[in-house]
Amino acid sequence: MSTLLEKHIVELLQERNEKAISLLYEHYADTLLGVANKVVRDEELAQDVLQESFVKIWKKSDSYDASKAKLFTWLFRITRNTAIDKLRSVSTKTDKEIQIDVSDVYNLGVDTTRPEFMDVRENLDKIEPKYQIVLDALFFQGMTQQEASDELDIPLGTIKSRLKIGLRELRKIYGPALLMVLSINLIP
Amino acid sequence: MKEKIKDFLDSDVLEKYLIGTCTEEEALQAERYIAMYPEVRDTYNELQENLEAYAKMYAIKAPDELKEKIITRIGKEHVGRKKYYRLAIAASIAVLVSWGANFFYWDQNQNLQEENAMVNSKIDNLEETMREQLEDVRNQFIVLQSPQTKKVTVKGNKKAKELKAVAYINPVKKLSYINVSKLPNLPEDQCYQMWAEVNGKMVNLGIIHEADSQEKLLALPYADKAVSYITIEPKGGNKTPTVENIVANIAY
Repeated sequence: MSTLLEKHIVELLQERNEKAISLLYEHYADTLLGVANKVVRDEELAQDVLQESFVKIWKKSDSYDASKAKLFTWLFRITRNTAIDKLRSVSTKTDKEIQIDVSDVYNLGVDTTRPEFMDVRENLDKIEPKYQIVLDALFFQGMTQQEASDELDIPLGTIKSRLKIGLRELRKIYGPALLMVLSINLIP
Repeated sequence: MKEKIKDFLDSDVLEKYLIGTCTEEEALQAERYIAMYPEVRDTYNELQENLEAYAKMYAIKAPDELKEKIITRIGKEHVGRKKYYRLAIAASIAVLVSWGANFFYWDQNQNLQEENAMVNSKIDNLEETMREQLEDVRNQFIVLQSPQTKKVTVKGNKKAKELKAVAYINPVKKLSYINVSKLPNLPEDQCYQMWAEVNGKMVNLGIIHEADSQEKLLALPYADKAVSYITIEPKGGNKTPTVENIVANIAY
């Protein structure tokens, strides 16, 4: 499922039209910056990551296959990988291991609270931390459920059920919102 | 079959595929399951939507300056590449042009060298000719103004009664000249040729041209008791004189 906007952006990307980058930035930069920040946990560094990611997106634009992933999924993968590479290069540079360990997950999001995102933050608050932790481990840390179980010291069965509930909660919040986004995108 | 799908969904491969942390093998497996089983496809699509929704919760306002930076950087990469291609093409053309120019200049240089050699040899020839002519003129002058010079009037025999020539012979300087002032007309296929018998050898002195013969003093090789002959020969001259065609002789 892809929106008209997505289709339009993909077309522009494949035509190597720079307008694609402009549109991508307008519609995805905030979320992708959030993704980068979740990984590198430094907003300045996250901005570098975002910039590098956009350059990669531009260079790799012909590798995007709409039949395999939604546009956002593809953008997310590039940004997350760039962020992880950045983290590695920074940690080798400073010779200090920056660990992406789970204990940090609890603090995530707190340092980036801003008024313009209060509504989103409120939404995030609607998801109980215990579900957030599992969702973070899954989406941002790239852990398998087994790894999350080991890291968080939570039985695998609990991880599975929390993930399920977490996703359901997410759907409750975003179900209607997603529909709204879709309808907005349909209006040129 | 259901069991297989359940196992796959339980395996985390789909989640790893979603965020791009799976191996190539796992990616192929995920893509195969997504393509084959609607349940897997639905789960994958749901996961994609969840991912986007969840990521949005952490969105941070991306600064507008960053957008400008990115656009500029991408523009540069774009132009940079174009520039590179343009440069490459320009360089190739430059190389070709330079080869062409090299060949052109090499060729021109070669031609100039040949021309130079030719001009030099011409100058040498001219110098030589001038020296000879100057020598000749000097000798003529010596012969003509010297009191020891004998002036011998030469007349043609029966075959060329109108022939008139004057020979100047200077035994001191060992120089002799002849001026043929008048030559009877000859048929077109014949000409007058001058010879000298020097020390028993017959020397060819060349054809006498009517037109320039009046003003020119023709040098004769000097030797004691030498004899010069004028003969009528076939047009173009002969290698040896035709004795029966002798029209005049000058003994000196």
